[in-house]
Amino acid sequence: MVSMNAVLLISFLLWSVGVAGVLIRRNALVILMCVELMLNAANLNFIAFARMSGTVHGQAFALLVMGFAAAEVAVGLALVVALYRKKGNIQVDEINLLKG
Amino acid sequence: MLAPSFATGLWENLSHDIHYIWPQILLMVSGLLMLWPLDSWLLPWTKAEKHKWAIPTMAILLLSLAISVYTPNGLGFSAMYKVDGLTKGFQVLCILASIFAVMLSQKVLGALFEHTAEYYALILFATSGMLFMCGAVDLVTIYFSIELMALCIYILVAYLRNQERGIEAGMKYFLLGAFSSGILLYGISLLFAATGGITTNLTELNQKLAVVSQDKSLLVYSGALMVLVGLCFKVAAVPFHMWSPDVYDGAPTPITAWLATAPKAASLAVFLRIFGTGFHSISYEWEAPLMLIAGATMILGNVAAIKQQSMKRLLAYSSIAHVGYMLLGVLSKDAQAGAQAIWLYMLLYLFMNTGAFAVVIYLQGKNEGERIEDFSGMGKRHPVLAFSMLVFLLSLAGIPPFIGFFGKFYLFLLAVEQGYTTLVVIALLTSAVSAFYYLEVVKQMYFKEPAEGEVAPMDSYSKFLISTTCAVVIIGTAFGPQLLKWTDDIRWFEKETPAAVMEFPNK
Repeated sequence: MVSMNAVLLISFLLWSVGVAGVLIRRNALVILMCVELMLNAANLNFIAFARMSGTVHGQAFALLVMGFAAAEVAVGLALVVALYRKKGNIQVDEINLLKG
Repeated sequence: MLAPSFATGLWENLSHDIHYIWPQILLMVSGLLMLWPLDSWLLPWTKAEKHKWAIPTMAILLLSLAISVYTPNGLGFSAMYKVDGLTKGFQVLCILASIFAVMLSQKVLGALFEHTAEYYALILFATSGMLFMCGAVDLVTIYFSIELMALCIYILVAYLRNQERGIEAGMKYFLLGAFSSGILLYGISLLFAATGGITTNLTELNQKLAVVSQDKSLLVYSGALMVLVGLCFKVAAVPFHMWSPDVYDGAPTPITAWLATAPKAASLAVFLRIFGTGFHSISYEWEAPLMLIAGATMILGNVAAIKQQSMKRLLAYSSIAHVGYMLLGVLSKDAQAGAQAIWLYMLLYLFMNTGAFAVVIYLQGKNEGERIEDFSGMGKRHPVLAFSMLVFLLSLAGIPPFIGFFGKFYLFLLAVEQGYTTLVVIALLTSAVSAFYYLEVVKQMYFKEPAEGEVAPMDSYSKFLISTTCAVVIIGTAFGPQLLKWTDDIRWFEKETPAAVMEFPNK
């Protein structure tokens, strides 16, 4: 059995990569992928700890999160396409009409 | 025979507790039917006739309002969903806000020829998400109901997709919302890990987290903080408010009015559930951060509103500030009194805010009304409208004769009783600041010469809405002192027996 600290460490690393990506990268698609990474880091925790405790609760949660992630991508990609049609690129630092 | 037994098991579980969620089912099923087959098949309305969708939508919302009030109290779905005073109270607020949003949508969508069934269906789906949020007592249901609401709102914000501003607002909201949901989910997973991978139920978490061993305290601390951050994004509390003014500015104005009320009411219900009952035993972990957030929200929301030129942005910052006040109620150690004060405040805020936005929407008939200067001379051009705007603004500022004062009064009184004197002093000072920018608009309306240009006529729904909300704000003033007494009888939180927590359907 893998130690739970190792699981937590890996999931935290995954999550940090996701957060760093969201904060650093400027391409909307890459940001979307990094958000998926954050969700998957949480999934890793759910699955590992559900397995440790021998209950199915966390595994069911992880499955639902995957379903949600797919729905989120659908909405996100639709927005990305709409943005691309309007502006011709999907760089988030060029989203600057609204400020003040 | 896996498949039939799975299906029958699912049906048995569902039918056992289905009476708790009829309002949500009604909203979802009618939303689905609106998309197909009604819109494309059975009702061959032309594009110009699609505004008629507002009427069935409002009827459905009213029906679900009635059903939600008469839903029996109880705990269902493996202790994941609970109906009690808090659930019903905030469900009423969410549905009312959605009805107002549908009423306000007429003019704006009509002018853009974007009347479609999808718009109303999305409002219904998002409302059902909010209703689930109000009753969710498990981190799983809380997370998914928040996301059900949020996914629909992302689309609605970017609904006018021929306008670049709308798309940008939607994109911004989506990216930050998805980011915050990643933080929220990771926080939940850490709390789940801290309990040893057993439970996400709030009542059980409360018991388990109180006794976790020393080496897991970091998990509890960071988990609770991440959940707090994720929720603060949803209610736009400082420092997680950056998206809010931009999104409010770029979204269609009826959706802005809705965003300032309904999702906030639902998110505050979640706040009360999580921090009022769920994390009660570890309040030392989150109390100081939440106090800081509440104080910063009040200060920044009010101060940043002063220099705004756009009316929608001004109202956005004012709604940030109002959330700051309401977080005082979340901090209350007496969860019952906190829920009561927040509910009253939110109810009064719903009327004042919707009224103010209705006036803005009216002025927007010719793409005016966005800037504060557009209000100049309104006292001469539209005396009735200017008067109702005056009532709404004074009420939002919390100036005594009007009803907004009572909401603030009860909330601040409670916070003083609970010993948050410093925060109340900040709240009072920032309320004074808020009077400054609300009165700036009043000055524009009454002491400036009218600008050129006529505004488009108003549709009957908006007229009705402005007069109703204005009447509520004025007449309600007379009943202000009784409000607290009337809502005293509502049992916001049902005490639950430990046996009831793990009551699975008889299987």
